[in-house]
Amino acid sequence: MANQNPGKDNFTRNLVIAVVVGVILLMLVPTLLSKRTNTSAAIPASVSADRGYGIVFNEGLKGVPLIDIYEDFQCPICAQFEKMQGDYIESLITAKKATVVYHTLSFLGPESVNAANAAACSADENKFLGYHRALYANQPAENTGVWSNDVLGILGQAAGITSKKFTSCVNDMAYQGWVNNVAQAGAKANVNSTPTVFINGKEIDRKTEYFSADKFKAAVERG
Amino acid sequence: MKKYQPWIGLLSRLILGGVLLAAGLLKYQHLDKSQMAVRAYELLPVSLANILGIVLPFVEIAVGVLLVIGAGVRISALVGGVLMGAFMIGIAQAWARGLSIDCGCFGGGGQVEPGTANYLPELLRDGGLALLAIYLFRYPQSKFGLDRQRSNGEMNNG
Repeated sequence: MANQNPGKDNFTRNLVIAVVVGVILLMLVPTLLSKRTNTSAAIPASVSADRGYGIVFNEGLKGVPLIDIYEDFQCPICAQFEKMQGDYIESLITAKKATVVYHTLSFLGPESVNAANAAACSADENKFLGYHRALYANQPAENTGVWSNDVLGILGQAAGITSKKFTSCVNDMAYQGWVNNVAQAGAKANVNSTPTVFINGKEIDRKTEYFSADKFKAAVERG
Repeated sequence: MKKYQPWIGLLSRLILGGVLLAAGLLKYQHLDKSQMAVRAYELLPVSLANILGIVLPFVEIAVGVLLVIGAGVRISALVGGVLMGAFMIGIAQAWARGLSIDCGCFGGGGQVEPGTANYLPELLRDGGLALLAIYLFRYPQSKFGLDRQRSNGEMNNG
């Protein structure tokens, strides 16, 4: 009957339960708060909060299709998409035939955050498209430690970026808050896969239109 | 049967708790992806799905820890069972509606290539875990737990 000694065991057990639940709540609350959009975060050039914090090209053109591209620089399928459609999309931008918004998501991990931050820094140098291309051309396997900020800084040279400001922007993670805002905006837009492309607010057909040059072009022209 | 019952309870606790703990920790490392996984079920409004995607891993970790150490087994098993039931409903409706998603059970999640989703093993696994949860709810006594045992002579505060 020694075990029937009341109180003691239940006290230990209840204490343990309280500690476990308490610690979990203490971790949960700040996490929930950190996932909110931080409207005071620094944002790079050509970003529009109204466009889900995306990096916008040809804002304000009338009568052209609006292309929203959600991507993660570490996502291999995004690299394939870039290879297939990247030149076409850039040509639309240069010819002012479309408004294009790049949403650089970062759900694949810390190196996606690094890359998105560095891409924002390249936007300040007016070299976003070149750097975007350079990132995909040099995409390593996910989170293998290759995309450190040092490497991402050096990669700027591939896009013709030589300024010290770029390197310090990359190393300081100057746009980390913005990267989080982009992620939250993507979550609100119900983007569940990368790449995801919306044309005039409607997703194109995942089965056929992402990886066919002709069909993608037709989808853009259809508007 | 009565003699083995606490050992079966221990095994159930460790399996159910261990799976929940592992699932929660893996999701916790990629919360953006966890939110994406919940959204991809297309069952909840987007804003609610985004909150659930963050809260769920924490609940899994808490319930997993409590089951492994054997504290509050009955309530933990109930929560674990309700979770498994909810997961099965989510997966079954995704299957029935022809969605192509990764269940996101252990991290991951979101849309996948059409035809590559694999729902049956996921349903069977969650069904098995739900049975363990039901067993623990009905027979919460087990070896090496913190809960007070009723009549079994020996006990251990683990």
